[in-house]
Amino acid sequence: MAKLKINGKSYFVGNEPDTPLLWVLREDLKLTGTKFGCGGGYCGACTVHVNGEAMRSCRIRVGDVENAIITTIEGLDPASNHPVQEAWLDLQVPQCGYCQSGQIMQAAALLAENNDPSDEDIEISMRGNLCRCMTYHRIKGAIKKAGKEIRERSV
Amino acid sequence: MNNNINLKRRSFLISSAAGLSSLIFAKLAFTQGKEAVDLLNPSSPLVLPQNFTPSIWFTMESNGRTTVHIFRNEMGQHVGTSLAQIVAEELGLSWEDVTIDYPQMDYTTINTYGPQLTGGSWSVFEEFDKLSRVSAAARQIILETGADLLGADVGDCLVEKSVIKDTIMGEKISFSEILSETVIDYEVSEEDLKEVNLKARQDYSIIGKSVKSLDIPEKINGSARYAIDAHIPNMLYAKIIAPPKRMGSRIVSVNDDEAKKQVKGYITTLPINLPDQLLVGGFMTHMPLVIASSFPEAMRASKLIEVNWDNSACSTQSSKEAELEAFSFLKQKDNGKIFWKVGDYEKARGLDNVREIERFYKTSMVAHAPMEPMSALVNFVDKKLHIYAGSQMGTMLPYLFAQFLQMKPEDIIYHPHLIGGGFGKRYEIEHIIMASMASIQLKKPVKLIFTREDDMAFAHPRTPSAQSLKSVLRGDKCIGITQSIACANMQLELNPFFTDMLHFPLVNGKELKTDDAVKQETYTLTGSDNWYDIENQSVFHHRQTSIEKTIPCRAVRSVANNYTVFALESFMDEVAYEINEDPLSLRLLNLRGKGVNKGAKKSDPLPTSFGGGKRLANVLKIASGLANYGRSDLPEGTSLGIAASGAETRYNPSFVACIAQVAVDKNSAAINVQKLTCAIDAGIVINPDGVRAQVEGSLMWGLSAALLEKMTLDNGHVAERNFDTYKWQNITKIPELEIHIVENGIHPSGVGEPATCVVAPAIGNAIFNATGVRLRSLPFSREELFEGLEKQV
Repeated sequence: MAKLKINGKSYFVGNEPDTPLLWVLREDLKLTGTKFGCGGGYCGACTVHVNGEAMRSCRIRVGDVENAIITTIEGLDPASNHPVQEAWLDLQVPQCGYCQSGQIMQAAALLAENNDPSDEDIEISMRGNLCRCMTYHRIKGAIKKAGKEIRERSV
Repeated sequence: MNNNINLKRRSFLISSAAGLSSLIFAKLAFTQGKEAVDLLNPSSPLVLPQNFTPSIWFTMESNGRTTVHIFRNEMGQHVGTSLAQIVAEELGLSWEDVTIDYPQMDYTTINTYGPQLTGGSWSVFEEFDKLSRVSAAARQIILETGADLLGADVGDCLVEKSVIKDTIMGEKISFSEILSETVIDYEVSEEDLKEVNLKARQDYSIIGKSVKSLDIPEKINGSARYAIDAHIPNMLYAKIIAPPKRMGSRIVSVNDDEAKKQVKGYITTLPINLPDQLLVGGFMTHMPLVIASSFPEAMRASKLIEVNWDNSACSTQSSKEAELEAFSFLKQKDNGKIFWKVGDYEKARGLDNVREIERFYKTSMVAHAPMEPMSALVNFVDKKLHIYAGSQMGTMLPYLFAQFLQMKPEDIIYHPHLIGGGFGKRYEIEHIIMASMASIQLKKPVKLIFTREDDMAFAHPRTPSAQSLKSVLRGDKCIGITQSIACANMQLELNPFFTDMLHFPLVNGKELKTDDAVKQETYTLTGSDNWYDIENQSVFHHRQTSIEKTIPCRAVRSVANNYTVFALESFMDEVAYEINEDPLSLRLLNLRGKGVNKGAKKSDPLPTSFGGGKRLANVLKIASGLANYGRSDLPEGTSLGIAASGAETRYNPSFVACIAQVAVDKNSAAINVQKLTCAIDAGIVINPDGVRAQVEGSLMWGLSAALLEKMTLDNGHVAERNFDTYKWQNITKIPELEIHIVENGIHPSGVGEPATCVVAPAIGNAIFNATGVRLRSLPFSREELFEGLEKQV
């Protein structure tokens, strides 16, 4: 039995310790916003925050994140109003939308560390988050817009 | 007290664009509101006003909300928003009053609503006229009713933003008030539909506006429901074990002793060997289904299970072998099967003072690789089969599944879910059938999930192709072109519901109706039937059944255009070079909309191609102008290249041109695509930002296919099984995009696919202009470019 702290709540789960966190989130806890894309850490669809850091939940064993602070897309903002989400809505980023939870979580982690990223900063941070609808131009634009919003709020 | 307004009783049936008849107005004979119980005061029942459902396509509620029912599957194209915009426009709604839903589909749906296939860039193209007319008819009913309630003359009233206004007395009544006070009882006739007063284009206030897509809010907070998110309590999980060959491997035996010992939640393995007739065309494959109480346990168990396979009937073809065969077909004397003919190429070839050039092109297989792997939840309960999945052909599932599962269509119900990337992949159904078989057998809900490796092992890629392009040149004129294409058929005609996949060849614009044997699978060859006025043309197909026996090749975004247009548009530049003509001038000279290239008449039932070749010339000029084509200030090694096409087909073309600006590092042969400039004319634009988003995605898809994507066959199976080996575009090195959308009021075409096909030839032409090296195979190979550059030195 492992105790997980997810989105401010505690959960006790009985999975084998080597079970990928992704499947515990999706199938046991019904936090299905985190998506399965490749299972190998190549695509970024399953990105969540572990102690504030963007990580691939398909490559994390549930036994390794006991007592860690885990945030999924459902817990990023209580009203889905995180500046990244607002920018995503404003620039109409998603098409099929399947990868976008991972994109948003990766972008939020980037902006928490650097709220004024250059094109290159964005590319380095986001290069592992694939989007098959290829919404990359809007993702870039939305990250910059969200960064501006975060900077203005912190003034 | 409700008013009952009896309008003229009129009933009708009209044909949908796709050919099947569909009832578009519901027959209503309500005279009473429905009763509801006020829980606080059971002695005084509350009478709720009726919904007003003037058509099967939308429902108007007395609270003012109108829900548009969407039967096309949402897969990123925001189709529901576009269709709702059409309804809202003609109905005179305020956009804030509009919602959409995705109703479940059963055996009656296809007869009521038509096939509703989501693909081919058809949705708006097929629905625009029908939804416009039905909504305009409903507006007239509301207007008459509202005028009546206001005591005004209909001629003095107008509809604006969900309100009827009496322009003389200044009084108003909202749709909500009308429907709260009134029950409308009427039926409408087909004649009435033809006579409806459609809005003039200049009066549009919702069509042509970039309203925010209705499906996006749920896609940014994790609440959107895809098939893979479906859930039923106590469901079981299934994982396949991929066979050692792509097609035809047969299960001999399964040993699951270790799984039983080591995996707690492991339940059983169903070794599904299917009747041979279900394997035809690669629609189904034998595979063991590993069943467990959780998906991680199913994955763990599948690694411990030994399957003994019989591969004796399987193809062992490799990509290299398929390519060698293709070139042998192209080089033999037999021309192949005719698909398209204008004038007489052979005769042109025999003229005096002509010369002929020939070039060979090839393209690799490309995968759909949607981000959401294939998955389906199926629940067989009370003799009904409930399917929770995402499908590009939902209306057909009850009939298709009835055949595969020997059930009655009446017992099959499809619950549509969002699709995490379609691109043609979700025309496939075998994962849903497998989950159905498991659910029927185990009497439990079963959720089947493909891992990425499973999904790639069950690839349905675009066919590889090899092509020969020939041209007859006389002096500085191109007087003939022949395109010969060696590739597999998509075999879509094997699907009993895709009856219109085979067509007679077109000779000078007329069908060559000799006998059925001359028919061709249009979607395998489309794009080669081009809009150029070159007077002598032939297109031939060499069908590679050897590939069809190895892997089922299917429709990948923009289908054949991505190989036919690549070869043709590269070749146009090669011809221009041979006759010392500018590539843009050569194209414009031959895009004057002559003869078969005039396009449809404005009075045709579907006038989408109205204007024909002239519209292609127009987008080519616009894109060239925007890109400053012909500029001389670009640095050494940097150049522009052009390409244009009328994709998806000559029947529903979106005219699209692309100018690529490419820099080549002559030392390393690195290809840097700096900018793509695109002009697209898809007729009436419903949502400009939605169109822009689709074109952005299409251009990037084309870029990814041009530079990176390659799926290969190795010993009868797909070599690439995950994104470490199947490489595609990420957020780095993305070019600047400049997109111009032409607005011209012509019947709308589609935008989900067409712009993909012009990217690769534009890049290839730019590389040639920058370096003098011509690359003729997709994806472009840096090694090949490097060798070409070395030869020049």
